[in-house]
Amino acid sequence: MATLSQFVTLVSSDDFSFIVLRSAACLSGVIRRMLDPACIIFSHASLLYSVLTLTDGFVEARTNTCHFENISGMVLEKVCEYMYYNEKHRDGKDVPDMDIPPELCLELLMASDYLDSACPSLLHMALLTAA
Amino acid sequence: MASLAGRGPRAKIRPPRRGLANNDIDFNDTWGVLEKAFLEIHTKNASALSFEELYRNAYKIVLKKKGDELYKRVADFEERWLAENVHKRVVNLLTPPLMMLDSTSGRSLTTTAEKKDSGEKFLRELRGAWEDHQVCMSMLTDVLMYMDRVYCQDSRQPSIFAKSMGLFRDQILRKPARTEMPILLDILTRIILDQIRMDRDGETIQTHLIKANISMLEGLYDSDQEVEDEKLYLTAFETEFLATSADFYRTEGERMLRESDAGTYCTHAKRRIDEEGDRCRSTLSESTAPKIQRVVEDELIRHKMKGLIEMDSGVEYMVDNDKLQELGFVFDLEARVDVKKTELTRAIQKIVMEMGANITNAAVAASATSAAPGTTEEQAEDKAKTGAAKVNQVTVAALKWSEDILALKDRFDNIWRQAFQSDQMLQIALNRSMADTINSFSRSSEYISLFIDDNMKKGIRNKTDAEVDSTLEKAIILLRYLQDKDLFETYYKKHLCKRLLLNKSQSISVEKQMISKMKIELGNSFTLKLEAMFKDMTLSEELTNGYKSYVNKLGDADRTRVDLGINVLTSMTWPLEAFRGGATADEDQGNLQIIFPASIDRVKTGFTRFYNEKHSGRKLTWQTNMGDADIKATFAKAGKDGKPRTHDINCSTYAMLILLLFNDLPAGASLAFEEIQAATNIPPSDLARNLQSLAVAPKTRFLVKEPMSREINPGDRFSYNENFKSQFVKIKVGVVSAGNKVEGDRERKETEKKNNDSRGYVIEACVVRIMKQRKVLAHTALLNETITQLSAQFKPDVNMIKKKIESLIEREYLERVDEAAVPSYRYLA
Repeated sequence: MATLSQFVTLVSSDDFSFIVLRSAACLSGVIRRMLDPACIIFSHASLLYSVLTLTDGFVEARTNTCHFENISGMVLEKVCEYMYYNEKHRDGKDVPDMDIPPELCLELLMASDYLDSACPSLLHMALLTAA
Repeated sequence: MASLAGRGPRAKIRPPRRGLANNDIDFNDTWGVLEKAFLEIHTKNASALSFEELYRNAYKIVLKKKGDELYKRVADFEERWLAENVHKRVVNLLTPPLMMLDSTSGRSLTTTAEKKDSGEKFLRELRGAWEDHQVCMSMLTDVLMYMDRVYCQDSRQPSIFAKSMGLFRDQILRKPARTEMPILLDILTRIILDQIRMDRDGETIQTHLIKANISMLEGLYDSDQEVEDEKLYLTAFETEFLATSADFYRTEGERMLRESDAGTYCTHAKRRIDEEGDRCRSTLSESTAPKIQRVVEDELIRHKMKGLIEMDSGVEYMVDNDKLQELGFVFDLEARVDVKKTELTRAIQKIVMEMGANITNAAVAASATSAAPGTTEEQAEDKAKTGAAKVNQVTVAALKWSEDILALKDRFDNIWRQAFQSDQMLQIALNRSMADTINSFSRSSEYISLFIDDNMKKGIRNKTDAEVDSTLEKAIILLRYLQDKDLFETYYKKHLCKRLLLNKSQSISVEKQMISKMKIELGNSFTLKLEAMFKDMTLSEELTNGYKSYVNKLGDADRTRVDLGINVLTSMTWPLEAFRGGATADEDQGNLQIIFPASIDRVKTGFTRFYNEKHSGRKLTWQTNMGDADIKATFAKAGKDGKPRTHDINCSTYAMLILLLFNDLPAGASLAFEEIQAATNIPPSDLARNLQSLAVAPKTRFLVKEPMSREINPGDRFSYNENFKSQFVKIKVGVVSAGNKVEGDRERKETEKKNNDSRGYVIEACVVRIMKQRKVLAHTALLNETITQLSAQFKPDVNMIKKKIESLIEREYLERVDEAAVPSYRYLA
C-alpha cells in the first residue's frame, strides 16, 4: 500500500475488464471506498495514521480490482465512458451532452444508483434520455 | 452493442436484463454473510473480504425494503459487541488506584506514580477501544453505504455511523464500570482531571493520550441528534474541568498571596495563564482555551488583584523601590481582565495622592518651623537679615515643594511609560491625581509662581537654551494642573513686577519665552497684562533716552544735574502694592507728598514737563518708594590711613533722601527720627526700614544712631558716621524685602480677598455674557454654563455665583421668571 497505482481494473459480471484511471474511477463513491482506505473519512486527523496501519482495507484495495457481479459489460463500458467524460470536462463550461443510447438508460440508471456516482449528472443524463 | 447502431427516434428501451436484485434472496442468509464479515472486521481481518460482495448484499436487502430490519440488526450487533467485548476490556483496567480517585481519603494510600501509571493504562485502552470502534464503524458504514443513502435518509434515521457512535457512548461511557459504581464517563473525567492536576504540579504526563480521549468526547454527542453544542466534551467534561481549575487556582492564588511577594505572584500568574493556553492546545480542546483563560484570570487576577496590589510587596512597594518590571507585570495582569484597570488605577492614584500629601506636609512643616512664632513679614525679615543665607526658609520650602512635585510627576511619568505601556486610562488617572494633589494645597499657585521666580533669578544662570527650555516646560506642567489660574496670575504678576523693576531677572528673553509658553497653554487673555508690563518696560527705556537727549539739546551743561532713569508704568497692569511692605494696609502712602531736595525736584518737574509735552492728558504719579539711586559719597576717613575715599553707593530713593539731608548738616550735628520724617515726609514705616539699613546694618553704616540699638524708635537721633570704612568702592544698600518670598498670613488674606473680588467681577461678567446670549435660562443651566466657561481660569464657587446672580437681579440686569417650571432667569436689556 506504499503507493497507490495509477490505474485500477473494473470487471463486469460477464468478465469484461476495464482499466481506468484511478482518479476517474473514484467518481463513484462506492469504487472510491472500495479501493482507497485512505479515503475513509474521519473527523479526526490524529487517527488517520493508526487507521492506515490497522487495516489493509478490503480485497479490492489490495488487488486494485473491482468485480461487479450485477453490472454487465455493456453498461460498465458506458459507465467508464462517462467517468472519462466527467474527468475531461470537470471544470469546463458549455459541455456537450454525452451520447447515451436510450435502450441502456434504465440499466445505466440502476448502475449509477448502485455505484453512487458523486456527480449526479450521469443519473440526470440517463433520466433525460429515458424520458 | 448492435442496438447502438439501430438507435432511432423510438428506440426501444431495454428492460433491465436481469433485475439487479429481483431474484429472491433470503434475508437471514444475507444477514448471516454480513454478520460474519462484520465480525471479521471487528477482529481486524477485513483484508480477505470483498467490499463489493458485502455492499451488494446490503444493497439487495435494502432494495427488498428490508432496510429497517438490517439497520436494527447492525445496531444490535454493535451493541452486543461493545457490551460484551469492549466494555469488559476497558473495565478490567480500572485498577484499585484509579478507583481511589473518587474518595479523597484514599488518596494517600496510593502514590502519585501508581495513580499516574494506571491512569495512563486506562486512558490508552479507552483510546484504543475508541479508535478501533471508529475504524470498524467507518468500514461498516462504507459497506452499508447504500443503506445509509437510501434507508436512513428516507426514514429519517441517524446514519449508522452516528448511531454506532451513540451506542459506544451508551454502552461504554454511560454504563457503570461495575455494579454500584459511577459510569465510565465520570471515571474518565476524573482520571483526566487528575492527570491535568499532576501536570499542573509539574509532572510529565502523556498529553497525547488525554488528547485522544478528549477528541473522543468531542466526537460524541449528548444525544443522537448530534446538536453541535451538546458534545459530550462540553456537557460532561468541560464544566467539570473549569470548576476544578477554578478551585485549584483559587487555593493556589490564596496560597501565593500569603506566601510569596507580589512580583513572583505576577510572573507565576502569567506563566499559569500561558500554561493553560498551551495545555488546551496540546492536551484538551482549543475551544476551551478562552474559557479556561477566563477562569484563571478570574481566580488569579480579578479576585486577587486587590489583595495583590495591597500586599506588603504590592504596588506601593514596587513604586517605592522603582520595580518597573514588576509594575509592568501587574499592569499586564490587570489589563487582561479589566480594560479600565480599575484596581491599579485606584492604587496608583492613592499612592500619588499620598506622596503628594507628604510633599505638601513637608512644605507646610518646613515653613512652620522657620516662622514658628508667627509668620508676619517683619519677623521673617529679621531672620532673613540675621541668617547668612538670606533666603527665607519658607521660600526655600516653597521651592522645594515645586521641585518635589515635579520629581513626583517625573517619577510616575517614567513608571507610566515603562511599566504601563503609556496606557491612556492610567495617564488620565495620574493627571487627575496630580491635579488633585496640587490643588488640594491652597498655596500651590503662589509656590509655583515662586518657583518660576527663583528660576528666573538664579536657576537659569549658566544654562543652555535647551535646559532653560526644559525648566520652563516643567513650570508649565505644574501650571497645567493648577486650577486657580487667576490666583496664579496675581502672584505671577507681582513677582514679575519685582523682577522687572529691580532688574532681578536674568534674561528678558527667557521671561518673554515663558510668557509665550503661558500664552499657548492658557490663552491670550491670561498673558495680556503680563505682556503689557513688558511693553511698559520698553516704552520706559525709550522715554528715558528721549528725555536724556531732550535735556542735552536744552544745552543745560549743569554737571551737578542729576541723571534720571524712569519707568512709566500703566497703573492698572502693575501690582504696585507688592512693593509696599506688610504695613501698607494701615496707611495710605500714595497721597503723601514726599519732600524732595531742590536738585532732585528740578529733575522731577523737568521730566513731568517733558512727559506732558509728549502725552497730554496723562497723570504721572511718582512711586518714590520703588526707585533707587546711585550716589557718590566721600567719607573722610574711609580710605587707607584715614584718607578720604569716595564710594559709589546704590540705595533706595528714600535712603538717598535721608543721606542728602546729612550733606548739609554741620559736622557732629544729629537729626532726630521725627526731624528726618518732617524734612522728607517719608512714611514712618519706610523711614524706619531705610534708617535701619543705613544705621544698623554693619556694612552700610553711614549713619550713627543714638542710642545704639537694633530697633529704630521714634526719638532716636542720627548723625553722620565719620568713621565709616569699607574695602569696596561700590556699596549696595540692602533693599529690604526686595526679593520675592512667601507671603505672610495677612498678606495672603489680602491677596485672596482681592482675588475673590476680582473673581466676583469675572463671574458677573460671565453671567451677563451668557444671559445676554440666551435671554432666558434655567438656574442650573446657568450655573453649569458659568462653571464651564470659567474653568479655564479658576474653579468658581457655586455660592459665589449664586450671590452674584442675586446681586445682578438687584441691579436689574436679570429678573426671575415667575411662570417657569424650574427656577429661571431672564436677561433685562
